[in-house]
Amino acid sequence: MRRSTLFVMLVLMMLLVSCGGQDEKKDWLGQDFETITEAAKSTEVRWYMFGGWSHVNTWVDTWVKDQLLSRYGIRLVRVPMDATIFINKLLNEKAAGKSTGSIDLVWINGENFKNAKESGLLTGPFTSLLPNFNALIDPRSIAFDFGYPVKGYEAPWGRAQFVFEYDTVKVDPAPRTFEELKTWIIAHPGRFTYPQPPDFTGSAFVRQVFYTVTGGAYQYMDGENQALFDKKSPELWKWLNDIKPYLWQQGRVYPKDSTQLDTLFARGEVDMSMSYHPPHAQTKILEGSYPNTVRTFVLQDGSLANTHFLAIPFNAPNVPGAMVVANFLMSVEAQLSKYRPSHWGDFPVLDMNRIAPQQAAAFAAVDLGPATLSAAFLAQYAVPEIPSGYLEMIENGWNEKVLREK
Amino acid sequence: MKTQTLFLHLSPLLIPYVSLFCAGVVLAAVQSVGLWSPVPLPSGLGAAYTRLWSSPWFYEMFGFSLYVAFVSALLATGGGTLLACGIWGMPALLRRMSVIYKATLILPHIAIGFIVLVFCSQTGVLASLARLVGMITLPVQFPNILYGGNGFGLILAYTYKEIPFAILMVLGLLAGFDRRLFDCARMLGASRVRIFFRILVPSIAPAMHSAFIILFLYAFGAFDIPYLLGESKPAMLSIEVYNLYFKRDLTNRPLALAMLMLMFCFSVLFIMIYSRVVSSLTARERKL
Repeated sequence: MRRSTLFVMLVLMMLLVSCGGQDEKKDWLGQDFETITEAAKSTEVRWYMFGGWSHVNTWVDTWVKDQLLSRYGIRLVRVPMDATIFINKLLNEKAAGKSTGSIDLVWINGENFKNAKESGLLTGPFTSLLPNFNALIDPRSIAFDFGYPVKGYEAPWGRAQFVFEYDTVKVDPAPRTFEELKTWIIAHPGRFTYPQPPDFTGSAFVRQVFYTVTGGAYQYMDGENQALFDKKSPELWKWLNDIKPYLWQQGRVYPKDSTQLDTLFARGEVDMSMSYHPPHAQTKILEGSYPNTVRTFVLQDGSLANTHFLAIPFNAPNVPGAMVVANFLMSVEAQLSKYRPSHWGDFPVLDMNRIAPQQAAAFAAVDLGPATLSAAFLAQYAVPEIPSGYLEMIENGWNEKVLREK
Repeated sequence: MKTQTLFLHLSPLLIPYVSLFCAGVVLAAVQSVGLWSPVPLPSGLGAAYTRLWSSPWFYEMFGFSLYVAFVSALLATGGGTLLACGIWGMPALLRRMSVIYKATLILPHIAIGFIVLVFCSQTGVLASLARLVGMITLPVQFPNILYGGNGFGLILAYTYKEIPFAILMVLGLLAGFDRRLFDCARMLGASRVRIFFRILVPSIAPAMHSAFIILFLYAFGAFDIPYLLGESKPAMLSIEVYNLYFKRDLTNRPLALAMLMLMFCFSVLFIMIYSRVVSSLTARERKL
């Protein structure tokens, strides 16, 4: 009899330990920022973000962590996790009714933001409470994320723009338009490839071809239109299928993601790579993976630009802490530190007209390194992202019309 | 022992199994039909299954996954059995040294994937050695092992990883094998090949069959090696499931889960049919 009670107790203990506690939730969205800062002092903030770039991880783990500790007493814990994975985690937690999770702040944008917002996974709107957001950000520049309205559910953190990377020793001169790129690919069979959609970078490359061959991005900004897509997409498939036999491995195999493409480029199997982050090539040169003759170029037909953001999950245990961290990361000091190539090189999201002249001069004085094109130069060719419903149509269509086309 | 106490004693094992694995399968089945979705779905119940039924790419991927799994499991089991018999026949000192075969067992699958990638790609270690020796001058002259379109890189990685597992299972049975049968057959004039097929194989057959089932079903559904070494077309099912579930819009989840359920049902059916066939074949053999 005693053995059975012991087993019953063990089983009950296992069940109890797995259940989380249910706390009372204070409405932080109705407070003012002083109260929030007070409540955030000496707390722990868990930040879940993409961990594939070691230089970014180092910067967050050293500079950002130290600054938060000295200014607010906040202990920052960075957890590396892909956006799709933590969205999955939040979905499961929401379905299980877990009202106190373990994620305070997430680094997110695009399709992932849309999925998260539509499934009710985010706390908000909160950005209007943050003083740096109200003072330093141009609201029109961040009103949409991949064509989907932000409505204050995510705070901007940095900007990215699509660039191509090439070795000046092997490719000279770099193509200036998509037509010239196509001519170059056909003249150099097996020396170019792009990551397989639905990888983020590969999908972006296909989207850019889509804009160029169908007459620009702005016709698609009005929500998803299947009829418009069906009318315009044959041009896209034709362009991609035209270059297909001249791609690496005759277009039968595409690298799974941009990291694999970078490896092929670094090892000399292909002559061009691509990245959604302008400072990426310079970082790789500093790391020693790329030779220092690598430079970046954009095509004059347009290069995709987007903003990446920070958001707060619906069941964040430390909402005030997350808001203080998001506010700090939008400050001039944090954006300037992030802009330095030795830390990261990611472009700032601040409106240069709203900051003091000497601070704007500090941004202009940062030396990005020879491989990174300046923000002013890139801004000339920037085109916006279209509503993410088109991404789904493009990815489906790519599988059917390009990959499986004989 | 009463059933109640039996359940109590098994509960530390049963509870995680039922609550995690069985519940997971049930959740996947329910969501694959279209219920309990976090976002509103455009199509009706069971739409994922009808879509898969009429998609030629699904059958192609299914066939390719079966082919890779079958060839790698066959090579691993066959090669593992031969190597195990070889090890069993060695003198005692060499047999103790042969324990290094377990080194590959300890490495995770993804490490083996990396090893194959680094060694066998056209700019990898072997290609560099070939260039050093002067056999080739350009990367494209090195044979296209990984991306030749026939899944050779996958088969190589799976076989390399799984041979030690087959050796382990077969050696376990061989340890209990009576050597005197072997010596008796030699004295009566049987050739080694005949001894192998008529005496050794029937006694180690249970280990071979188990190894084959395990290795086949693992290679059929695993994700890590195809993620590193897989090609875009033909592709393995697990990669397509991953893409549909994680990287695309949430409305694609029922499709991914439907594929998973079909893979699960195939695995269960395979085990049942295989066991049935094997037991009916062995029932007809003459037992020593």
